[in-house]
Amino acid sequence: MTKILTGNELLSGAVVYLDADGRWVEELQAARVYEKDDEAAYEAALAAAKASGRVISLEDEDVEIIEGVITPSRTRAQIRAGGPTAPKFDRQHLGEDEHVSL
Amino acid sequence: MYRYDEFDAAFVNERVAQFSDQVRRRIAGELTEDQFRPLRLMNGLYLQLHAYMLRVAVPYGTLSSKQMRMLGHIARKYDRGYGHFTTRQNIQYNWPKLRDIPAILAHLASVEMHAIQTSGNCIRNVTTDQFAGAAADEIIDPRPVAEIIRQWSSIHPEFTFLPRKFKIAITGAPNDRAAVKFHDIGLMAQTNGAGDVGWAVYVGGGLGRTPMVGKLINGFVPHEHLLAYLESILRVYNRYGRRDNKYKARIKILVHEEGLENIKGQVEDEFSHIRGGVLTLPDAELDRINSYFAQPAYVDHGVVSVDVEREKILDPAYGRFLENNTFPHARSGYTSITVSLKPIGGAPGDATAEQMEAVADIAEKYSFDELRVTHEQNLVLPHVAIADLRAVYDALGEAGLADANAGEITDMITCPGLDFCALANARSIPIAQDISRRFAAPERAKEIGKLKIKISGCINACGHHHVGHIGILGVEKKGTELYQITVGGDGTEDAAVGKILGPGFVADEVPGAIERLVDAYIARRTTEDETFIAAYRRLGDAPFKEALYGNG
Repeated sequence: MTKILTGNELLSGAVVYLDADGRWVEELQAARVYEKDDEAAYEAALAAAKASGRVISLEDEDVEIIEGVITPSRTRAQIRAGGPTAPKFDRQHLGEDEHVSL
Repeated sequence: MYRYDEFDAAFVNERVAQFSDQVRRRIAGELTEDQFRPLRLMNGLYLQLHAYMLRVAVPYGTLSSKQMRMLGHIARKYDRGYGHFTTRQNIQYNWPKLRDIPAILAHLASVEMHAIQTSGNCIRNVTTDQFAGAAADEIIDPRPVAEIIRQWSSIHPEFTFLPRKFKIAITGAPNDRAAVKFHDIGLMAQTNGAGDVGWAVYVGGGLGRTPMVGKLINGFVPHEHLLAYLESILRVYNRYGRRDNKYKARIKILVHEEGLENIKGQVEDEFSHIRGGVLTLPDAELDRINSYFAQPAYVDHGVVSVDVEREKILDPAYGRFLENNTFPHARSGYTSITVSLKPIGGAPGDATAEQMEAVADIAEKYSFDELRVTHEQNLVLPHVAIADLRAVYDALGEAGLADANAGEITDMITCPGLDFCALANARSIPIAQDISRRFAAPERAKEIGKLKIKISGCINACGHHHVGHIGILGVEKKGTELYQITVGGDGTEDAAVGKILGPGFVADEVPGAIERLVDAYIARRTTEDETFIAAYRRLGDAPFKEALYGNG
């Protein structure tokens, strides 16, 4: 299954995604997508993320790539990416010192 | 209202200092998340979908205007300018940052509030009738007992790590507005033959994935022995509760599996050992606590009445407010006002910082400085002079708080659902918004009368869907949010769990389905005074099932 690694940044609680450069970023579309053959890389990233402790509630999220767009399968993941739908609120953003990497 | 004594103040301040240091150590990397998580949860700090969520206890739903102003201040300074009042009579902030939590807790402590025991497998905030100490039908004001239970249960060393969380609700009135039969322990005031007031104790009620109506374990526990009796129940539960399975760990499962008589025997045995001991409430302490809840200095306004029918003609919105949002007060010349947090199309239970401040000002001026939070996610001004009603209504109107829909179909309980909650399977708030828009017309709402819709976004049932006259439960099926509709639930003294009548509906279909249920009720009621729930009890499932699914 195609998946991404996501969690919540420690200080802000903001939803973040691990990108290809090992940075935790706000943009879902910047997330590194792990294919079936990337399991070793995924496990290594997960272990490093756990060890750093700066991103919590780590979870993998199943996604599909639809016309080049990373599309999470679950409604939950779509709401996490975009913020609450009702009432509509902007998602939580990272503060200046809340941009972290593995 | 209760005021912290030296012990309370020192305890809460110590806890703020402890948790501030724990936050510092977590940020510095000295504590891992596995070490920190139980510490933050003990201080009410959850992680939700988008951010942290801080749940602040409002003991038995009672607030002073100073406390409400502080809640508004915190919302503005540390959150996004609003807070969410919950079915636990608490308030939740959805967007705080970890670094700000120590400051928030210090602010709360400065007004004698905290977030302790709003999470974890301990005894949670005691909830009660929102009209406690004001209601005309009350036998006794339950708040002094609620305060005593609060003190007894706060970091009770034996009950800090129970098999599961534990919720106690108490009412001093025979008309149960606190859903006591759906709590781990429910207490209802009773008078015995000698005229003494004591407590009927219900045990093993609850909602969630296994809804149960509480069972009467003792019809009359004398006032002075109540704590000993509660301790006996907790001790039996702590000893035998199912720690092996989270889903079977609540006391309701223990009572169900072991049988009431067996549990009762164990509790009575325990009670026989500790009755009359250190937990006997001394008269001096009872008097001291009672004095905090003394009646306010009511003014005799003479005979004051409001001609509701006349007002309805002169100003229909005000007339409707009088009809729906006032509640009979024990003192003549006074009334209790429900401040609806259910504007049409709004998020049930949300209030802005400005609204919190406005309602605090109104409480200070017109309600002896007192406010209540209701388990139905509204606020209450408990003691308003009838002579001041119009002024209060106008002031509420200026703050956008004069919705006159208390008790009507648009006054729904709704959990935060999948828009916020990490446990939810489906959204709740947009469903409530769509239903409230569908039934927005005051004439239509009046035609329908008293009807309680309650919506949960998962089986944990924070939105009390099991006890809605119409309940809505969001589930996820093959990636789609689907809503099961139940009918016939009741959270009052006539407690009942609602029944699922058939398959679920997708979100767009829900308002129409509710409308069909409502139409079926209106078509079949004997008179306009027969409520939805009364009609359901008379008619049974069939007409409602047909309304939802046709007769095929």
